[in-house]
Amino acid sequence: MAQPVLEISQLKLHFFTDKGRVKAVDGVDLAVHEGEIVGLVGESGCGKSVTSLAVMGLIPQPPGKVVAGTIRFQGKDLTKASPREMRRIRGNEMAMIFQEPMTSLNPLFSIGNQLVEAIRTHRSCSKQEAKNMALEMLKKVGISRSGILDEYPHQLSGGMRQRVMIAMAMVLNPRLLIADEPTTALDVTIQAQILDLMKALNQEFGTAILLITHDLGVVAEMCDRVVVMYAGQVVEETDRRRLFRNPKHPYTQGLLKSIPKLEEQKKRLYSIPGQVPNPLGMPKGCRFAPRCEFAFDVCGRAEPQLLPVEDGHLSRCWLHQEREEGRGHEPDHAIAQSQ
Amino acid sequence: MSQTTPLLKVSNLKKTFPVRGGIFGKKVGEITAVDDVTFSVKKGETLGIVGESGCGKSTTGRTVLRLYEPDSGQVEFEGKSLLALGDEEMRRARKDLQMIFQDPFASLNPRQKVAEILEEPLIVHKMGDAKERKAQVQELLRVVGLDKSHAGRYPHQFSGGQRQRIGIARALSTRPKLIVADEPVSALDVSIQSQVLNLMADLQEQFELTYLFISHDLSVVKHISDRVGVMYLGRMVELADRDELYRQPLHPYTQALLSAVPVPDPEVKKERIILQGDVPSPADPPKGCAFHPRCPHVMEICKVERPAFADQGGGHFVACHLMDRS
Repeated sequence: MAQPVLEISQLKLHFFTDKGRVKAVDGVDLAVHEGEIVGLVGESGCGKSVTSLAVMGLIPQPPGKVVAGTIRFQGKDLTKASPREMRRIRGNEMAMIFQEPMTSLNPLFSIGNQLVEAIRTHRSCSKQEAKNMALEMLKKVGISRSGILDEYPHQLSGGMRQRVMIAMAMVLNPRLLIADEPTTALDVTIQAQILDLMKALNQEFGTAILLITHDLGVVAEMCDRVVVMYAGQVVEETDRRRLFRNPKHPYTQGLLKSIPKLEEQKKRLYSIPGQVPNPLGMPKGCRFAPRCEFAFDVCGRAEPQLLPVEDGHLSRCWLHQEREEGRGHEPDHAIAQSQ
Repeated sequence: MSQTTPLLKVSNLKKTFPVRGGIFGKKVGEITAVDDVTFSVKKGETLGIVGESGCGKSTTGRTVLRLYEPDSGQVEFEGKSLLALGDEEMRRARKDLQMIFQDPFASLNPRQKVAEILEEPLIVHKMGDAKERKAQVQELLRVVGLDKSHAGRYPHQFSGGQRQRIGIARALSTRPKLIVADEPVSALDVSIQSQVLNLMADLQEQFELTYLFISHDLSVVKHISDRVGVMYLGRMVELADRDELYRQPLHPYTQALLSAVPVPDPEVKKERIILQGDVPSPADPPKGCAFHPRCPHVMEICKVERPAFADQGGGHFVACHLMDRS
């Protein structure tokens, strides 16, 4: 396979707070190839947004710090890039759209002003040329009225604002688009419009998309591959079909079982007992073990590794790894590794 | 559920908010948040109300409890008009009418301990002496799945899911008959959401509660409701039994709404109806049918005449001119 556009390996990003060290991202591996849409799924606090902000170089340091690992974007390690280099890449080769389209546009400047600024920061062209580029891109995202450039963010609805954000992100034709919950703040009918638009842009320009979401429905509709995170780690990675048909990790299984579905009617929903662990005091061994219905002795002692269960399907769970080594057998090497 | 008089009967409810502008705050316009909404809730059932932001579903819930005073219309609880009650009578009536809010952070007083939060409604409604109240608080905590020891803690010491359990316990404390739940699980993660939904279902069975369940999430509403009403721009456009509504939606808006929900199964291929444009401003709603500018089946009559909210048989209410043709 060709070199991925984005390749994160063994990334550890910790926050050093007064109360102790928060291991927000703790050994994450992730790759996005050209033209691919990869979903990054997990519940609040699992580290999915921190991972994406780290790629963009938007984590304030301190208190955050990349403790280990690399983020390679088109082969270049971004953890070592200078702020100046990051500024050149950001918004140009790599762009991001955020959940809140209201707070991510400047209320004091017109839409045209903000788009032209984004273009002229990275391209040497006249204002008029930049305006034309902006108008063309706005047309692609479905805003065709020409007066739009003189309008201000408060004059637009949430869906329109998110279209403007997408236009701003896509206008310089980036190689990678990071979308952090792009439709969470929007209504379902508007969400359908925006998802359609993102898919069309992905097909037209071959832009790689890292889509961060908590909505498994959105994942099923959009993504080629899916990475599931829990408590700062990747617990499962596979293609979309296998994630929904044959999830391996008990957390993924629980997550899929606990969402109410339109096509079926159950008296009770499955629910994962307990709650996400406190980031300041992660449980020993497997981080999901305290909530896992399949947990057994090893789970509480040693941390499982993210290993292939089958070709292209990774899971971080002792259940699969035990089975191969014979159940009940103490995996000494794993304990040594985790220490 | 075979009773003839519904527990709650809402007829032609209307609520407007003034739009003020200028330096003297003069009224310059009006937003009709709830416009001629009619429905009823039977004892022991759950009526779900769905709709997108700004459709008036929350305002409907609040107006029913008289947290907002309606402009016109009627709200009857157990056959008696709530709107005719004076302040003191209304305060007493609230014992039977409780509410669960969306935001478990903003709806609990951060300076009160959990025990105080749960005891306060009992004091207000003069229920029991100090000792009985204390026992009742412990019982409430047990019922919603929290520990006795939690009584002495403050809201900030709990997670979102636990806080929502406290909100539910507070709503239960006066042994109400009707609970209006306004987006009770929207702020929660899916794994916690299912815990809270299960809890609400258990409590309904245990205490014979009636829910008015307001949410934007069609899957959640389908899971918990017996009947479902769909609102658009302040109006109820469709109301039917749950299975009927989800299997055979009649209003074009309901059809579009249902088709837009992403299905968590990559092998389900749905025909998706993508609506054009945005929801119009409630300050200036379209004439005739409020949905006509976005409706794929729009006719001439839709632009001038507002369709009646009429029963199409078996309690399946729809407000759409297409129904008259077939």
